[in-house]
Amino acid sequence: MIAATAGALVLLAALGDCPEDAATLAAEADSLVAAGVPRPDTASLDRARRLYRRARVLAPSPAYSLRAADLACAAGDEEECGDLLSEAAETSPGSLSTSDRLVLARRAESRRAWRHAIVQYRALKSSAPDVSLASWADAQVRRLEIEEEAQAIPAPAAVPPPEARLALAEARRALAAGDLPKARERVGIAQRLAPGYPEAALVLAGLETREGRVPEAIRAYRETLAADPNRVEALVGLANLLWDEPDRAAKEEALSLTDRAAASRPDAPSLLRTAALRWAEWGDAPNALSRLDAYRRRVGPEEKRTTDSLRETLARRVDAALSGAVPPEEAEAPELSSPAVDEWKVAQAYVRRGDAASLAAALDHLREAERRDPTFAPAPELAGAVYEKQGDLSLAQKAYERAIAADPARAATYDRLAFLLARQPGKETEAVEAWRRAEQAGSSEAPFALAESAVREGRRGDALALYRRYLAESPGGVHTEEVTRSIARLESRQRQGRGALGAAAAAFLLAAAFLAFRRFGGRTFAEWIRANPARAREARPVVGRLRHEVVKHGGLLLADATKRLSEPDAEARGRTAALLQSRLFGGSGARGLLAESADAFERLRVLAREDGVRLNLERKDPLFSPIAGGCAILRRLERPLSRIAEDGDADPGTVSRLERAADLFGSASGAGISRALDDASSTIVRRSDLQGILEAICAEKGLDPCPALEWKGPELAVRIHRADWETIWRNLFGNALDASSREVRLGVFSELRRDAVTGAPVARIVLADDAARPLTSDMIRGRGADRGWGIVADLLRRSDGSADVSPAPAAGFAKGVVLEVPAVEPEAPA
Amino acid sequence: MTRPFAILVVEDGTEYTDAFRNLAATPLELVRASDLEEARRVLAGRAVDAVFLDVVFDRTAPGKLAGDREELIRRFGGDRPRAERHLAENQGFYLLAELAPVLPTGIPVVLAYDFSAEPGRLAALRKTWERLVGLPDGTPVTQVLDSLLAEVRRQSGDDPAEPGGKIPKR
Repeated sequence: MIAATAGALVLLAALGDCPEDAATLAAEADSLVAAGVPRPDTASLDRARRLYRRARVLAPSPAYSLRAADLACAAGDEEECGDLLSEAAETSPGSLSTSDRLVLARRAESRRAWRHAIVQYRALKSSAPDVSLASWADAQVRRLEIEEEAQAIPAPAAVPPPEARLALAEARRALAAGDLPKARERVGIAQRLAPGYPEAALVLAGLETREGRVPEAIRAYRETLAADPNRVEALVGLANLLWDEPDRAAKEEALSLTDRAAASRPDAPSLLRTAALRWAEWGDAPNALSRLDAYRRRVGPEEKRTTDSLRETLARRVDAALSGAVPPEEAEAPELSSPAVDEWKVAQAYVRRGDAASLAAALDHLREAERRDPTFAPAPELAGAVYEKQGDLSLAQKAYERAIAADPARAATYDRLAFLLARQPGKETEAVEAWRRAEQAGSSEAPFALAESAVREGRRGDALALYRRYLAESPGGVHTEEVTRSIARLESRQRQGRGALGAAAAAFLLAAAFLAFRRFGGRTFAEWIRANPARAREARPVVGRLRHEVVKHGGLLLADATKRLSEPDAEARGRTAALLQSRLFGGSGARGLLAESADAFERLRVLAREDGVRLNLERKDPLFSPIAGGCAILRRLERPLSRIAEDGDADPGTVSRLERAADLFGSASGAGISRALDDASSTIVRRSDLQGILEAICAEKGLDPCPALEWKGPELAVRIHRADWETIWRNLFGNALDASSREVRLGVFSELRRDAVTGAPVARIVLADDAARPLTSDMIRGRGADRGWGIVADLLRRSDGSADVSPAPAAGFAKGVVLEVPAVEPEAPA
Repeated sequence: MTRPFAILVVEDGTEYTDAFRNLAATPLELVRASDLEEARRVLAGRAVDAVFLDVVFDRTAPGKLAGDREELIRRFGGDRPRAERHLAENQGFYLLAELAPVLPTGIPVVLAYDFSAEPGRLAALRKTWERLVGLPDGTPVTQVLDSLLAEVRRQSGDDPAEPGGKIPKR
């Protein structure tokens, strides 16, 4: 205040007028701009404003502020006009007219100060001279309340990079296999690569819970909820842990979380029962009763009977009204940067209201969000949820599919799609397929759904494995109780089944069926990898090791060793047998060929099992069965070889079996296995395909005509999954088209290069453009890069490729983006 | 050739050396080296007729692997374990690149890698070492050694075979 007064005195001095009384100054100002006087010129207006400034310094009053505001508005100085009106509103709210309120409301709105704007519109409504203006002001208030609520909604978490998803998949595998240290290490990597990654935090929470590290588990669950506030597994897991804590606040939060979980999953009535029991234990009978009644409405007579006595007790104790619960505060997660976020937030706020008009408004905003950023998956995902609420399942399904196309890594969308399909008669197969995709995307709900499906189809072994996996990953999950019961039931059936095999006829039939199943059941490696080409990256190192350690070493040893065992020299026979023993069964720091083979087969089986595929490598697979057959023979030779190593006497049976194994290894084709991998997982870079992608991007951007792609160089096959490859080019083309305000010239230059050391083929593909906007290698690399470039860099890294910026590869272009990707060896000329 | 046929075998274990020693049909002198430095020392200290390079060196400490680790870490976006795994799984190729300048002129080098489906790759590597041969899967020891011997004889003028032919699978 002192500073303001001092400033005012300086101002007065600057004006050069003698201090007079405020009323005189105001009167003089009014005479300059009085009614009846022709429209005052700028000089008069300025003079009048200066006089009022002085008057306000000498005698501050709402009346002077309002008059000064009028003069500021008349002079077009909206800033001062608004400031003066605010000043008047603070000291004398009743002195402002409706138009003054409107000015203030508009100004607050333009500053996105929703709360302030709401206050002004409310005041305008209460002072409005007629009903229509009041009603209009009310509508503005409702609109701004939505805006305000939307502002408070956090943007969705950023899409995790492929490396993080890969690390998490490894963590899940390790967790399922009981390798907790490895699971911890991999989940740590996933979190470092993608801070705030909800799936990773959820797996970590499961891990911490299994190891009894409660505070760490609680922290991990909170992290999950910060990024995905409606994640039911996290709500349930956190509620379970907090409920067991001794303090009151933890229990209150647990109650709230249990209620949220139950509300999110109306199809899981056990949550309502848990909520009822907790409220009852807490001593809040009305809340307990309402939840118990909701539970009883959803379950069958048997479950109902088990809660009769509890209901009776609660009903006697009911004497209070229901009370609400406050959701816990949540930590901040990194936000997904997209031009669609604001629209999505507004839509979220509408969806929370839930009435028909709000849902319709939410859809309008979501359509706009999708238009602004077609790659922003949360928008179509939320639209799907709205359509579901509206009962339009077909539109909901389409919306979820759009969300999946926009972000194939988002597990929650697959879950929603799968739930939607499962609800619709006749779509069970599609639902199972959606669950499979959900499982691949890291859904923790999927193992449960797939286990249920396996039970329905009579695949008890698969069901057991999936149920166990669910328990391993979500020890505090929604279905923990049911899963525990199902596992006990299936294990008991397994035991009973084993007992029933006593009957000889049945045994014979079963054995025959089993043999047929072993021979013809399951899939071959090539069939699996063709159906799941994204797995090639994980399968390739396993196959490489199998080729080197088993096929190569087996071929190298067995034929010669067999000949040597038939030689007359007993000492040579003994030495050979000792060599075979060491190489086949391990020794001197090496694992042995048979262990290497078993490990490679098992690792491939585990990978396929994650895709819901049972591999039959031993009997059905033409590429692997020679290796499996050879290993099976060799495995039985440990004792005979040991005997020969001791006394040098090689029996003909052992030699003959070794010959058979050598023949089998000789017929194995390591190159054939690698070829099957390449055939399934490589992508041919064709001009027509890239032109097609470019035209699709042009259509999305409304660009007509679309540039024709210039092309120089051969068509190459690259070792990268087709979907990833297309995503890379969608981003490259999108960025190139955005970089120029005029029609852009685009060229693709391809060539096959060789790694300088390994000689491995590398496809070098340059996308050149003539856009003037500068681009550097740093701008397109890493997670710090813009979203599109970050995706390109991530997908390339995942396939051992890289991206860089180069000078123009030909005249007429400004620069080039260089992609280097492992290529498939071109076929040699015949 | 008056002295026995001498082969430098570079491998991280003793599997190839043991197999050659026990199964060779002809007298051999086998000199084993477990990494680049040892191989260099052998080549500096004595004559050999051929070199056999294993490819996968996953039992060797990362610090002893040949190849520019830092450059590979950069190439793999800062992922050190991945870069080290790449070096271990392709070590034979890196050994070839590092040893080529110190190899005796014209000696055959066998790299334990099956190039049968990748002839272009073998041709590219022969720019590093002209007399490089691959090892097709399933090739028995005796055949590997016979081919090497034939290569050495051809070099010394005893055999008119074409240079650098790969070892045929039996």
